[in-house]
Amino acid sequence: MMRFVRPLIIVAGLVLIWQIIVWLTGAPHFILPAPARVAEAWWTHHATILGHAGVTLLEIALGLLFGALLGTTSALTLAYFRPARRWLLPVLVASQAVPVFALAPILVLWLGYGIASKVAMATLIIYFPVATNFYDGLRRTEPGWADLARTMGASRWTLLTRIRVPAALPALASGLRIATAVAPIGAVVGEWVGASAGLGYLMLHANARVQTGLMFAALLTLAFFAVTIYFIVDTGLRRALPWQPDNLPTEQEE
Amino acid sequence: MLITTLYRVLFPALLVILLGAGSANATDKLTLLLDWFVNPDHAPLFVAQEQGYFAAHGLEVEMIAPADPNDPPKLVAAGKADIALSYQPQLYVQVAAGLPLTRFGTLIATPLNTLLVLADGPIKSIADLKGRKVGFSIGGFEDALLRAMLARHGLTLDDITLINVNFSLSPALLAGHVDAVIGAYRNFELNQMAIEGYQGRAFYVEEEGVPSYDELILVANPEHMDRAVLRRFLDALEDGVRYLINHPEESWQLFIRGRGELDDELNRLAWRDTLARFALRPAALDRARYTRFARFMQEQGLIPEALAVEEYAVVLE
Amino acid sequence: MSNVSLRYEGEYLFKGLDLRLPDGVCSALLGPSGVGKSSLLRLIAGLQPFESGGRVTIGEIEVRSGRKSPANVAYMAQQDLLLPWLDALGNITLGARLRRERPDDARARDLLRQVGLADYERALPATLSGGMRQRVALARTLMEDRPVILMDEPFSALDAITRLRLQELAAKLLRGRTVLLVTHDPLEALRISQRIFIMAGRPAGLSEASSPSGQTPRDPADAALLRQHAELLQRLNAADIDSLSEIGA
Repeated sequence: MMRFVRPLIIVAGLVLIWQIIVWLTGAPHFILPAPARVAEAWWTHHATILGHAGVTLLEIALGLLFGALLGTTSALTLAYFRPARRWLLPVLVASQAVPVFALAPILVLWLGYGIASKVAMATLIIYFPVATNFYDGLRRTEPGWADLARTMGASRWTLLTRIRVPAALPALASGLRIATAVAPIGAVVGEWVGASAGLGYLMLHANARVQTGLMFAALLTLAFFAVTIYFIVDTGLRRALPWQPDNLPTEQEE
Repeated sequence: MLITTLYRVLFPALLVILLGAGSANATDKLTLLLDWFVNPDHAPLFVAQEQGYFAAHGLEVEMIAPADPNDPPKLVAAGKADIALSYQPQLYVQVAAGLPLTRFGTLIATPLNTLLVLADGPIKSIADLKGRKVGFSIGGFEDALLRAMLARHGLTLDDITLINVNFSLSPALLAGHVDAVIGAYRNFELNQMAIEGYQGRAFYVEEEGVPSYDELILVANPEHMDRAVLRRFLDALEDGVRYLINHPEESWQLFIRGRGELDDELNRLAWRDTLARFALRPAALDRARYTRFARFMQEQGLIPEALAVEEYAVVLE
Repeated sequence: MSNVSLRYEGEYLFKGLDLRLPDGVCSALLGPSGVGKSSLLRLIAGLQPFESGGRVTIGEIEVRSGRKSPANVAYMAQQDLLLPWLDALGNITLGARLRRERPDDARARDLLRQVGLADYERALPATLSGGMRQRVALARTLMEDRPVILMDEPFSALDAITRLRLQELAAKLLRGRTVLLVTHDPLEALRISQRIFIMAGRPAGLSEASSPSGQTPRDPADAALLRQHAELLQRLNAADIDSLSEIGA
């Protein structure tokens, strides 16, 4: 019961703080609208907002899918093929060093103004945390297990698939959690650079028309979906890895 | 006795005069937010700056370039800056949304917006836009412009596909992602394409059914504005325009002085094309012209009602 | 093994070692920490490369350090090395899984029963105590059914009572097998092994101690055992001082 009440209380508290800030700073409505104004804007335009939300959600979902796939295969390749490390690892690092904002216009020019460039942006942003975390996990396998496996006659491939990969799944889960948190950034940045749909586009449009209430409503909707997606992924990951030792005590507490 | 009177009266008087003179000539500071990064559209401001016209009128103007063109009017409305460069069409929407803004001067007295296509492309007239893709960058009222231009040829917005290409208008057109772009400035994008070796054809919005308007205006917050100071600002600005018109080549040198990054071919070509469009009388206001555009905005559904000119524009005496 | 040498960080851990393990009995390898007992064990398991000139053979087959260990050792370490995502049964049958063979669940269940964990077939390692986990590891080692079993201080991480119980269990189940048990606890060596080797010095050498008599597991209260325990302690202490003085401590 408390599990559902707690988030509601947190949200209510945040809204209260927001209102207090508006009262204290006397910020004009076109800079920081009060919660009531934003709620009104949401209600008036909820059909439009939800329509655009669908587009952004699709971008995030596809980005997560491709980013996770690419990330896991890269990590596996790095772990299994020694020469790959020399060539692929710098590319991996470079992929994160370049700020996404700089790549966005190029991606849009290559992939057009449709959903492809947004998915590409999200994929790019997701790729690095997934790949590095999984690779780290694969590298840090308990050495005793490798010894044991070798005495039992396991090949390098079996060692990878039966021991290293399952052992690295918690690390992969960490990477996926980070990826879920940053996926919306990729999608929205892509929309800012060139899109005709999506919550990022809607925010820009509302801003240009001085519809600050609508802009905040779209922003909050995005935040809500981002948090929900994270929660779903996190719960899914915890269910999928029941053998993680630190899981059990907290489950017993709840 | 005479000497003591001299000392007791003259010297203090001198002191007061000197100090008083200082405070009378104390410079008034103004923050001016440009509409975008520094470009030839801002020429008169920089000429006034470099030629010392602002200083001669007792002004110290700090010019700041924002990254987001939507910010300056909001910041002026919020009291964070004195003057913003903004766009006449936006002004109606902003005032209707409750922002305390008023236009007190004009910088560029003609529209700069065009519908741009490739000269050797399939679009020879606006009617050819039927079934085509038009690129735009979010400014807030590009669909209103298009609606007016298309209506003249019996078309509606449903006959075209609008694609948001954000600020890369020319690349989108050149790459063939879109057949036409709206929001391209006649002094910029046309030259940009020419430099790349492409010939563009421009449809001027004011020739295609949109009432004429001022592309760049000066806005201030009516609740905070110091009318006397802003009048001096306009006087200095007018001096800048005058010098610019009379000495364009010297003015260019003033523009790029200390700002080497502005000295490139695009800016030079744009400079030449913008010269004829600056408001020669920045303070002047044509009320009927502003009212006409207000009615246009209302017909396009961008504002609920056309307000009286006094609500959003002022003439400083 | 004959003439086996191993270096660690430039210095010889041991040089020119010769050792013959008796067949079918449990031999203990005693020695102070750091002398190289574990390295020797890993060497025999094929996990540690050693200098050329040395030979290690198990039965007819020569041990070469490489990817694939010879198929005739089973290895049990101080940590249970149970895979946390497999249940007890899955861990016991790990060898078969790694070799892509069909696991013999019936035999695995039997072994589980023999170590006293019949009801814990589906338990995940995180829910088992240290002693229970080591018992599963023991079952896993036995499941491998290899001619030689190598154990590296398998009970030292457990508390005294659990250790005692597991020593008895191991003695019972390992009867008749060739086992090399590395331990630092002379009492453990006396309780469950038939031959005791002492490794000491730097570079280390092997010497044999008097073999205890009687059926394993031996009663720790036995007078003869306690006497031998005292002797061993003295010998180990002396050996330790020697090696310390050699290092120049």
